[in-house]
Amino acid sequence: MIEALLTNLDTLLLALFAFCALVGATLTVLLRQPMRVALALISTMVFLGGIYGLLGVHFIAAFQVLIYVGAVMVFMVYVIMLLEVREATGPLYSKLLLPGVVGFVLLVGTIGVSVWRHLPAPAAARGDTAYGITKFSVSFLNEYWLHFELTSVLLVAAVVAALAVIKVSRRKASHG
Amino acid sequence: MLTLIVLLPLLGFVLNGVLATQLGGNRVGKNFVTVVGCGLPILSFLLAVKALLDLQAGGYVPIVETAYRWALIGRIPFEVAFYFDRLSAVMTLVVTGVGSVIHIYSVGYMAHDKSFGRFFAYLNLFLFFMLLLVLGRSMLVLFVGWEGVGLASYLLIGFWFDDLANARAGKKAFITNRIGDAGFLLGMFVLYQAFGTLNMDSINSGFAIGAAAVVPASLVGILLFIGATGKSAQIPLHVWLPDAMAGPTPVSALIHAATMVTAGVYLVARMSGVYLLAPEASAVIAIVGTATAFFAATIAIVQTDIKKVLAYSTVSQLGFMFLALGVGAYGVAIFHVVTHAFFKACLFLGAGSVIHALGGEQDVRKMGGLWKKIPLTFWTFLIATAAIAGFWPLAGFWSKDEIIWFALASERGGSPLLWAVATLTALMTAFYMFRLVWLTFFGASRMDPEVEHHVHESPLSMTGVLVVLAALSAIGGFISIPHFLEPMLPLPATHESLHHLETPLKYLAMAIAVTGVLGAWYFFGDGAKRAARVAQTFAGLHRWLSNKYYIDELYERVIGQPLVWLSDAVFLRFSDRRVIDGALNGLAALGQRSAGVLGRVQTGSLHLYAWLVLIGIVGALLWSWRHV
Amino acid sequence: MDRTQLLLGLAIALFSLGLLGVIVRRNVLVMLMCMELMLNGVILSLVTFAQQTATTVGAVLVFLIFVVATAEIALAIPIVLLLVRDKHTLDLGAYNDLKG
Repeated sequence: MIEALLTNLDTLLLALFAFCALVGATLTVLLRQPMRVALALISTMVFLGGIYGLLGVHFIAAFQVLIYVGAVMVFMVYVIMLLEVREATGPLYSKLLLPGVVGFVLLVGTIGVSVWRHLPAPAAARGDTAYGITKFSVSFLNEYWLHFELTSVLLVAAVVAALAVIKVSRRKASHG
Repeated sequence: MLTLIVLLPLLGFVLNGVLATQLGGNRVGKNFVTVVGCGLPILSFLLAVKALLDLQAGGYVPIVETAYRWALIGRIPFEVAFYFDRLSAVMTLVVTGVGSVIHIYSVGYMAHDKSFGRFFAYLNLFLFFMLLLVLGRSMLVLFVGWEGVGLASYLLIGFWFDDLANARAGKKAFITNRIGDAGFLLGMFVLYQAFGTLNMDSINSGFAIGAAAVVPASLVGILLFIGATGKSAQIPLHVWLPDAMAGPTPVSALIHAATMVTAGVYLVARMSGVYLLAPEASAVIAIVGTATAFFAATIAIVQTDIKKVLAYSTVSQLGFMFLALGVGAYGVAIFHVVTHAFFKACLFLGAGSVIHALGGEQDVRKMGGLWKKIPLTFWTFLIATAAIAGFWPLAGFWSKDEIIWFALASERGGSPLLWAVATLTALMTAFYMFRLVWLTFFGASRMDPEVEHHVHESPLSMTGVLVVLAALSAIGGFISIPHFLEPMLPLPATHESLHHLETPLKYLAMAIAVTGVLGAWYFFGDGAKRAARVAQTFAGLHRWLSNKYYIDELYERVIGQPLVWLSDAVFLRFSDRRVIDGALNGLAALGQRSAGVLGRVQTGSLHLYAWLVLIGIVGALLWSWRHV
Repeated sequence: MDRTQLLLGLAIALFSLGLLGVIVRRNVLVMLMCMELMLNGVILSLVTFAQQTATTVGAVLVFLIFVVATAEIALAIPIVLLLVRDKHTLDLGAYNDLKG
């Protein structure tokens, strides 16, 4: 049995990580307090990172944890703490709970059926050679350097926009 | 030169119309208007005489003069061209001649009218259109003139438009004419389709060489006659002529006696090529003409307005002309047009002189004993009356006698029945005309004392014209127009068996005229007491005749009111308001309501928007399956 | 069920759960987090497909999506902050100024 476990370890781990990610995602929809929701989401993302690692795309797994968890979710947690959300009173769900659930079921079914029809051939073996970080960065900075520069422009724009938002809020606060 | 004849009156219209009316600021005085307004028609008359001499010199070959090309449709040109042959010559001379003298008369009659300039402008306009009518070569030019004289007639009948009744009379004239014009237009369409041209000489020769097989001559004949019915006041479109007496008397003389109403006669005579081959249409014309003559004469017997008597007399005499046309005696009909122009114009102008003398009184029951007071008017009126009654050797005798003879003897439809009715009508004509003379000029005076005090003879411009016309009525019969027109409009053959009746019938005509005089003297001579008794005995008949057989009321009930109802209930209330407005308003309301419904999506709730996105994705995916 | 199917199923589930969360939750911050969840589901499916080809296009795209998600959250949160400060509540029911 241990041999069976060891030979199929990655598939098993994959299934385990997938299941945990799903649990985390469900919890984000169900939990009441925002801090707990944030923690559930973080756990989902970490498990996703694990999945990426199992797939062989290590650098994407690294990006996932570094950027997504490390920057985005931290920022999120920071804001939650800032807004002192302790008031967990009031209705949890909106008026569209029932239509939402119905729509959810429909959506899952429709996308699932659509995707299942056009599934590609079963995956080839892990071609992680294409996704070694060296290979990736070489091709990235040779062929896709324009997109890289454009993203830096996008980030500059985001910074400027954030500054503008702060300025507006400060002016409003001083006048209002 | 023909173009010049036509254009001179138009110039008069423009000059007087602009300078002598409020349009141009009343810049010129009466003298200018007189010189331009009378001088130009006289000039046209002289040019017409010259044209006649030219025609004679050229061996009576028709003179054709093209003014300009109106339109080129496809490869077919429509030209404004003028055509001068014997028939045109006769008509042009009558139109310009009688027209000119009536213009001179108007100078005196309208001297105190505030719209002196406008009157002469309209008269000149009428003359222009009438000349277009008689000189036009193509039916299209004739039709332009046809409509134009209708317009001028409308403008002149409603000349004193401050009184609404006059405007209504003008409208009635124009609308009734237009009804006839529908038939005229249809006739033109048939002719154009058959011949590809509307030139009347081409059409006549086309029929002569046998186009009757292709296009039914009778159909064309009847359609054109419908147009003539409207313009020349035959049954059933005669209703406008008595009402047209609302206009000034020179207008009644010129338009509704001498020239415009004879346009229908001219049309039929001009298109004789068609009617020679259309016995059915000719029969219809003869019957309608005779019926109209008889019918109008019966009404004229009981009328009390001096102008209305003359109006019905005109309708009756036009009926005679159409009778002549119907039995194929085209030249004789034109002869009667000429003589009728002379004596009817004289009668109308004489009536105008009487009205002028009495300061506006038109009711014969309030006249009487005038023969000593206005002698010139009286004598000219008497001569003209004798002419219309048919006394030898005055003009009316010659033309009317010819008509009655051909009514009996023509091989193209003459019959004893037509002759009998025509003779009876001639008797009535003499009777009612002399009744008019007696009531107006003789007997004890029944005038208002105030009016009687101011009775005076008319000025020279008026009496001079009366003398001229009376002279023409007297000797005009000796111009043998049928003979002049014979090369163009041959007289119909007459039954051999009846030739022996020709001379006795002439004596019968004289006898009828005398009988008419005596009858009128008997009934009306003694203060009209005997006539009043007869009227009381036959009160019902008298009322029917006085009310013109209630034809106007019939038309109103049968045609007028249903049309008004149709326009109001069907076209206005239903179609316009409910259907069209309803559809538009309904569309707008639909737009508004659907916008209101759709607007409910915008609740401001992000949850709803996100849910709609979800549903949209599901829907799009489902849609993408349809080709699976 | 092979790996691809499993991962795609997970991706579909993550996306749908995220969308459901946006529709259903009232708290604005939780809605933001559910939007991140949707994005993660999409990235997972992208990685799954990209890993089956021999080129690096898929990976590059994933990288770019990370960048965009970061920029987006960097702006979304300040905007939400301002909104919350204006309305004094985190409940989305109060944010219906665009009604009608």
